[in-house]
Amino acid sequence: MHSDAVTFAVVFAVWLALAVTYATVPMFAMPGYAVVWGWGSLVFLGLAALTALAVRRAKHRRRHMERPHP
Amino acid sequence: MKEHHALIDGLKALPAADQRLLKSCLAAALAALLVGVVFGAATALARGGFVELGPLAGYRAMSTHAVSIFFYWLYFAQAGLLLVFATVFTSHQHGVEWRRAAWLGLALMLAGFAASLYGVASGMPLLYDAPPELGRDPSAALGAAYAGYLLLAAGLFCVAAAGIATTVAPLARGEHDRMPVVSFAACAWAGLLIVSAIAAVNAFLPSALWALGLRGAPAEYATGWHILFHNLHYLPLMATVLVWYVLVEALTGVKSIFGARFSKIVFALYLVFVPPTSLYHMFLEPNLAEGVRVAGSLLSLFISVPTVTVFLVIVASLEVHARAHGAKGLFGWIGMLPWRNPAMSAIGFAVVNLALGGALSFVLIQEKLAGLLSDTFFVPGYFHFLTVGTVTLTFIAALLYVLPALTGRPLWRPEVLRWLPHLATAGLTLFGGAGVAAGYLGVPRRVLEVSYDGAAPAVWTALMSVVGAGGALMTAALLVYLYALLRNLMPVGAAAPAAGEPLPEVRWGEVATGAQRAWTGPLAVVILVGLTVAFTMLAFELMRALPVAAGAGPAH
Repeated sequence: MHSDAVTFAVVFAVWLALAVTYATVPMFAMPGYAVVWGWGSLVFLGLAALTALAVRRAKHRRRHMERPHP
Repeated sequence: MKEHHALIDGLKALPAADQRLLKSCLAAALAALLVGVVFGAATALARGGFVELGPLAGYRAMSTHAVSIFFYWLYFAQAGLLLVFATVFTSHQHGVEWRRAAWLGLALMLAGFAASLYGVASGMPLLYDAPPELGRDPSAALGAAYAGYLLLAAGLFCVAAAGIATTVAPLARGEHDRMPVVSFAACAWAGLLIVSAIAAVNAFLPSALWALGLRGAPAEYATGWHILFHNLHYLPLMATVLVWYVLVEALTGVKSIFGARFSKIVFALYLVFVPPTSLYHMFLEPNLAEGVRVAGSLLSLFISVPTVTVFLVIVASLEVHARAHGAKGLFGWIGMLPWRNPAMSAIGFAVVNLALGGALSFVLIQEKLAGLLSDTFFVPGYFHFLTVGTVTLTFIAALLYVLPALTGRPLWRPEVLRWLPHLATAGLTLFGGAGVAAGYLGVPRRVLEVSYDGAAPAVWTALMSVVGAGGALMTAALLVYLYALLRNLMPVGAAAPAAGEPLPEVRWGEVATGAQRAWTGPLAVVILVGLTVAFTMLAFELMRALPVAAGAGPAH
C-alpha cells in the first residue's frame, strides 16, 4: 500500500483507539473527548482513503495510456 | 545568476487568481495582527500603570487583543501559508484546487472576525476562552461572539479542504508517485485544521444556541474548550516547524539529511501525539479521577517530542552541511548562517524563544504546579515566548519571503528588519521574565490593577511596570514589521522594480557532507531539560517563600 496512505491510516488507528478509550473506559469517561477524537479519526481515515484512491487512479490512467492502441 | 528556491519561483509562477487569493489571506492576517497588537499594547501599558483603563475598557482591550491574535492572526496566517505550501510544493502550474472553496473559507473567516469584534465591543467581553458563565445572560452580543468562532471554524474547514484537494490532486494526475515532504506536511496540517473546526463546533455551538436563547446553558463547556484549546496549541507549532523546514532550505539550500520518508514520519508524529497529550488541560477540574491525573502527567512528557525531533533534524542537517563547508569549533557553524537576512534572524530568535517558552511550559503542565500557577501572571508571562517570540516571528519570517514574491515588490529596508527580532526578544525578555517572576510571587492573571489599594506587596506593582515596558518594546518591533509588510502589499509611491537587492543566503546543499559531527542539537535538548529543571526549582523556592496560601481556580 502507498506509504503516505499508510501513515494517515496509522494516525486514524491511534485516534480511533483513544476515542474508544474515552468512550468506554470508566476512569476516562469523557464523552466530549470521544466525540472530537472519534470524528478526527474519520478525517484521517478519509485522508488515507483519498491518498490511496488518488494513487490508484494515477496507476490506472498510466496503464491505460501505456496500452498499445490498434 | 541569482539562484532561487522552489518557494519563490513557485509563487511567481502561480496563476494570478491564486496570487490574489494568497495576498488576500495574508492581508487579512496582517489586519488581525494590527488590531491585536494595538489592543495588546493598551493592555500591557494599563497593566504597567502607564495608562489608565476602567475595568470594562480594560477587559475589552484584553479580549480584543487575545481574540484577534490567538484566533484570527494565527489562523488567517495559517490559512494563507497552508495554501502557499500546498500549491507551491505540489503543483504550482495547476495552482490551488477548489479555489472557490478557499475564497468562501476566507470570506467566512472575515465574517467571523467582524462578528467576534462586534461581540467584544458591544457586550460583556468574554475574554478569548469565552466561558458562558462570564456572559451571565443570553444576548445578541454574546451570540455574535460565539457565532464569530463558528464562522471561523467553517472558514477553516473550507480552506483546509481546498488545501487537501491541492495536495492530493497531483497524485491522481500522476505528477508525483508520492507527496513531496512539504505537501504531505501541509495535508496533515489541513487534516488537523479540520479536526479543530469540529472541536470548535463541539465547544461553541451549544453556547451560541444558549446565547441566542434557543437552549439552556451548556453543562460541559470547559471540557469542550480544553479539547479545542489543545488543538489550538498544536496547530501553530506544527505550522511553525514546517515554516522552519521550508525557510531553512530556502535560505541555505540544505535539505534534511535523514531523507524525505523520515521527515514525513516526524510531521505525522504531531498527529499521533495530539490526542494522548491533551489530558493535562483537565488538571484543574476538581472531579478528575486520580488515575487520569497520573496518566495525564506521564503523557504530558511527550508533548514536545515532535517539535524537538523536527528541531534536531533541521539543526543536524544544517550543522553537517556547514562543517562540510569548513565550519570550525562547536558553534562556529552558527555564525556562518545568513543572519543579515531578516527571515533568518527571525527564525533564529524564534528557536531561542521556543526553548525558553517550552521550558516554562513544562513547569506549568506539572500536575502539582498547574493549580498553583494557572491563575497567575505566569501564564501570559510564559506563553508570549511562544505566541510572539516563536510563532509570530516565524510567520513573519515566512511573510518576508512570500509577500515580495507575490507582489513583485522588494522588501522595505531589510537592514532594519533584521534587527527587529532582537528588539522583540528584548521586550519579550522583560515582559516574560517579569511576568513569570510575578506569577511565582502570586500576581493574579487577568487583573489590570494589582496594587489592591496598597495591600499587595510593592514588588507586584514594580514587576508589572517592567511587564508594561516589555510590552511597549514588543509593540514597537511588531508595528515596524507591520509597516514593512503592509507597504509591500500596497503599491506605495513609484512603481517598484520587479526585484530588489537579493537578500543574503548561503548555498550549502550541493556538497557531499561525508561523516561530520552534529552535537549542537543534542546539546540544545540537554539545555532545554536543564532550563526546565531550573525553572521548576525556582518555582518551588519562590512559592515556598510566599506568606499566602494558594488554591486552584478555573483552568488555564
